[in-house]
Amino acid sequence: MTKAVTPHVRGVFATRRRVLALGAAGLAMPFVRRASAKGAPVNVGVILPLSGANAQFGVNSRNGIELVAEQINARGGIKALEGAPINLVIADSTSTPTTAATVGQRLITQNNVVAILGAYASSLTLALSEVTERRDIPLMTMSFSDQITGRGFKNIFQIIAKASVLGAAQLDGTVAIAKSAGQTLERIAIMYEDTAYGVSQAKGLRDAAGKLGIKVVMDEAYPLGITDVTPLINKLRGANAQAVFPASYLNDGLQIIRSMRQQSIAMPIIGGAGGYVIPDFRKALGEYAENVLSIAPGNYDLAPQLTDAFRKKYGYFMVHEALEHAVCLDVLAQALEIAKAADPAAVRKAMSEAEFKGGWCDAMPGGVVKFDQTGLNTHAVPMMVQWRGEDLVTVWPDQLAKAKPVWSAA
Amino acid sequence: MAFIQAVLDGLMIGGVYAVISIGLTLVFGVMGIVNFAQAEFLMLGMFVAYFAWAYLGLDPLIGSILSFIVIFCIGFLVQRTLIQRVMKAPPVAQIFLTVGLLIVIENLALLAFGSSFRSVSTSYQTSSLRIGPLFVSVPYLAAFCMAVLSGFALWLFTDRSWYGQAMRATAQNPLAARLMGIDVERMQQIAFGLGVGLTAFGGAIVLPYFTVNPTVGSQFVVLMFTAVVLGGLGNVVGAVIGGLAVGVIQSLSALLFPIQLQNLVLFLVFIGVLALRPTGLVGSSR
Repeated sequence: MTKAVTPHVRGVFATRRRVLALGAAGLAMPFVRRASAKGAPVNVGVILPLSGANAQFGVNSRNGIELVAEQINARGGIKALEGAPINLVIADSTSTPTTAATVGQRLITQNNVVAILGAYASSLTLALSEVTERRDIPLMTMSFSDQITGRGFKNIFQIIAKASVLGAAQLDGTVAIAKSAGQTLERIAIMYEDTAYGVSQAKGLRDAAGKLGIKVVMDEAYPLGITDVTPLINKLRGANAQAVFPASYLNDGLQIIRSMRQQSIAMPIIGGAGGYVIPDFRKALGEYAENVLSIAPGNYDLAPQLTDAFRKKYGYFMVHEALEHAVCLDVLAQALEIAKAADPAAVRKAMSEAEFKGGWCDAMPGGVVKFDQTGLNTHAVPMMVQWRGEDLVTVWPDQLAKAKPVWSAA
Repeated sequence: MAFIQAVLDGLMIGGVYAVISIGLTLVFGVMGIVNFAQAEFLMLGMFVAYFAWAYLGLDPLIGSILSFIVIFCIGFLVQRTLIQRVMKAPPVAQIFLTVGLLIVIENLALLAFGSSFRSVSTSYQTSSLRIGPLFVSVPYLAAFCMAVLSGFALWLFTDRSWYGQAMRATAQNPLAARLMGIDVERMQQIAFGLGVGLTAFGGAIVLPYFTVNPTVGSQFVVLMFTAVVLGGLGNVVGAVIGGLAVGVIQSLSALLFPIQLQNLVLFLVFIGVLALRPTGLVGSSR
């Protein structure tokens, strides 16, 4: 048991890590506390795309995390750690997976982080998770891809419903909304950017369509950073679909909708979150954004009492990535209270065992956060949102809806 | 009919690729320098037009002229203060300078403008003309017309004006040009300004259908170099043909293959052309 007590001594970090690497399960024992860590700030790594194609979303996410960190610190930090404040160590993953992994490595070795939040885009998160898994650091994410919790990793926590579930719900919700307007959905078109997010969401849609006997009349991937979507829209025009399901980020999403308008293709558009649920979408499209539907893993109107603080601070509504990252940090803070140690292994244990409630968890569709053995939050359910003026309104499922959905060829 | 539509779309977007590529090829043609930072000037041009729209209410198509002027001045100064110093240095030094410039400009833009995507909204950006079964997107058509106009203006300048002739003389033989009393350095400053200015102009005219952010250059840089090398490095007519070819190849490939593969097809054609005609489609004039 000599190894298990080493943390009391708190030697150089390399020693502690070696202990961890040897798999000393005793570390997680509740009585193990590091005396010298009392009140010292808890370093939380935040890795997000702050530049490159996905920068916008990275910045939104960072805003959400910073808001919650300020709230936690303002109310006296982590009580179980004698008021230790949260110290965010924010790093730019750019929009390149290799950089995400390198930056993760750096945060772990140099900044002694207790957990990492990030990295918005699934492709980045997948790359980053290889590093966090190897180094036994909990990684909390709101990335969609199924692969994230599908690889049997121990240190990953996915706070939202995964892409295949989102994709399936996207279709289920659409079918329900169409039905309430008296239309039966038979032919749909899918287009998606070809990184991890788009690919897994399209798969969810495709599988769900297969189950419901809905015909996918167009199924087209396109490269992220596409400079001309006209070929895509030409195909859509010839496809005779009743509704289109694009999974895109902002730049491609705007091009798709504008090109559709140019060719006067009128059909309901059901976006796959990403670029369809941020204020810039509405800002760029104006009235053309009205009634565009999208799947979303969360929406600010579920908990205005929490999300209004974001709007007040940053001047725009709390976009879902900011919201879910906020929940991630709140859950991490709750896990730290339970673990009573700023120690990655203890945090991971608390995270995988406890059920989290209250605080920012109220803003999640399920209201509760509980991770299963793969690290997936079992309470997360997808929802549908629709643009109404400057706001996104939850319209499906009925128990969460704040307004009736409009089925229109927006 | 799908074929004609695809060719039409390809030509429209190819016209824009042509303008931004002319800028790159001009800089190489006159000075023998490959400007890796060229696409960053495109980004700056887009921002100038964006801010002109946001604060002055100028349509990006008119703002593009402002973009040209502003970026011309910046290019002129960059040539004078930085690039002039490496004109006689080994190519490696020139590469390092322009790549360094790329990184500096991109990151300065990130600092100054933030990382968000910005998009203008104009009345015509969601409209199109119908010619029988064919659709012509109005923003594409507008960009294409501006591209043609700028190409024509460039031709007038280089062919008719004294400055243009002096610039061509500098490109052909700097020493002889100097002996004829031409201020070679000044000509190079003008050429560089003109080159980056044209690329910036090309960036501004796509604003009605494209978003701008500090890293947008990376989306165009490969296309730009492909167009230029395809046509023959340093050859203005080549850049035009190269640009149009890139647009049409991208558009046509989407008819036969998944859209994902459009750049794969482009580069297969590119490699094929280089293997058969290493000087480019319109090469050998240099």
